[in-house]
Amino acid sequence: MRQRKLLRLVAALLAVLVPGLICAASPPDDITAEVTPAVIPMGTFYSGSSVHIEGRVPANTDVIVAVRGPEATEVFNQVGRAGPIWVNKGKVSVSGIPSLLLVFSTKPIHHCLCRGELDRCQLDAAAIRSQIKVKPPTRDREVIAGEFLKLKYRQKSYQLENAGIRLGDPEEVNRRFALDFHWPRNAASGTYLVSVCACKGGDITESVEIPLKVVEVGFPATIAYLARERPATYGIISVVVAVLAGFGIDFLTTRIFKKKVSSAH
Amino acid sequence: MPVLLPVAGISISLPLLVGVGGLVGFLSGLFGVGGGFLLTPILMMVGIPPTVAAASDSCQIVAASSSGTAAHFRLGNVDMKLGAILLLGGLSGGWIGVGLIKLLRATGNADFVITITYIVVLSGIGGFMFWESLRNLRRGALETKVHVMVGGEGFLGSLPFQMNFHRSKVRHSIFIPFLLGGMVGTLAAIMGVGGGFIMVPMMVYLLRMPMHVAVGTDLFQILFTCAGVTFMQATTNHTVDLLLAVLLAAGSTIGAQIGARLGRRLRGDQLKILLASIVLLVMVKMAVGLVTTPSVLLTAAKGH
Repeated sequence: MRQRKLLRLVAALLAVLVPGLICAASPPDDITAEVTPAVIPMGTFYSGSSVHIEGRVPANTDVIVAVRGPEATEVFNQVGRAGPIWVNKGKVSVSGIPSLLLVFSTKPIHHCLCRGELDRCQLDAAAIRSQIKVKPPTRDREVIAGEFLKLKYRQKSYQLENAGIRLGDPEEVNRRFALDFHWPRNAASGTYLVSVCACKGGDITESVEIPLKVVEVGFPATIAYLARERPATYGIISVVVAVLAGFGIDFLTTRIFKKKVSSAH
Repeated sequence: MPVLLPVAGISISLPLLVGVGGLVGFLSGLFGVGGGFLLTPILMMVGIPPTVAAASDSCQIVAASSSGTAAHFRLGNVDMKLGAILLLGGLSGGWIGVGLIKLLRATGNADFVITITYIVVLSGIGGFMFWESLRNLRRGALETKVHVMVGGEGFLGSLPFQMNFHRSKVRHSIFIPFLLGGMVGTLAAIMGVGGGFIMVPMMVYLLRMPMHVAVGTDLFQILFTCAGVTFMQATTNHTVDLLLAVLLAAGSTIGAQIGARLGRRLRGDQLKILLASIVLLVMVKMAVGLVTTPSVLLTAAKGH
């Protein structure tokens, strides 16, 4: 009887402890991340948005978060000197790089990744400079790449080498991380890609990608649709609204001014 | 408070847009200029793409000039007969100008040609207006001129189809306002503006119209020209941002009312010297911009 009770006790203890022991010994779960909000609505009074990213990464890894816009060919006028004045010296098209790039990391990014990984993932200015495609081919490629970056920084479409990722307890098996940043208000609507990478020893060990949608809603969406899809109707509406706005405000201001004049008398 | 401009695709301060519209509307009411030559560069400076700035500017000029035309019409400052002939000429010239721009774009540096055209035209008109207004202010001699019927002299007086324009108190061949409208329409199309800042001085100096009637008649002509341009921009380039135009118009129509009323209190020469100063300032800014090293050597290729 005693032996049976002892066996049952041992079996119960094993049933509770063994799965725990197995979990502790197994490799950590895959990297996880969640972006909030998943969709950024662009309404009439839109001014960008706060974005929160959180998740877990394996212990003893650094975290890099990169937000990328779709690759697009952008056309620019190249400005150059002609005597004392600056004139447009021709058009250049730039491609092969993301339209928007925001990079955040737990350490300076050059301490997290080797040159090869930085280039492969286009995560710093040097990678952008080396991979930018300029047409027509020109000897000024380096200059154009530099000027392109300057323009993007100014537009806040490129924000590289940002800190701001908060890491949880280093003792955790799956270490928590969190990041809050402000979505640039002038970024166009579309689908962007958030990449969360865990890195160790100069390499990316694991990564996860999550889409982030930015969509026009309400009045701006209606106007944008009409302008694109019903241009003739939109043109007539524009003229009629402008004339009505002009006469309407004229009517109101005339009343206000008349009232002021009569009250002054 | 920010507002999202749906066609421009950017978010921008609402008070800033209304304020910019108010300032330009004030000048519009005061001088009869549509304000395009000031508003388009200001909008570009605050981050609006050039094509959207130019097209939406035309749309807001429709609102501002309809308000301004109404105000001037009540004050008896619109010469409908002369305005209609100017408008016919302006539309014909505008059509020619659009063709010229197309040719300039195909052959090379259209932006440079446009900038140089601006500098030459603005310095010529601004400089002449400033000099003559200063001279008249010193003499105090202009007020008697505007009440007598004047006509073309010499060659202008010998042209056929002479017509009395009672509201303007002038007599001219109908070819004069038609050709003037055509020339200004061509320049306006090349420079991408309503053309008031060229038209008003021409009306005053060439047609000998009183300043206040020139301002009212010019606004009448601008209203129809810009309505046509707005429609064409919406259908061909899809660059009219109605929200931007309405916000600018909200500021500019109020500004135009104030400007029109203040304009009645100022003497013609005072108005002209103010307008000349603004024209010269814009010209100097453009000239300085041509020789100053730009901060970025790339610009978006969507301008004129």
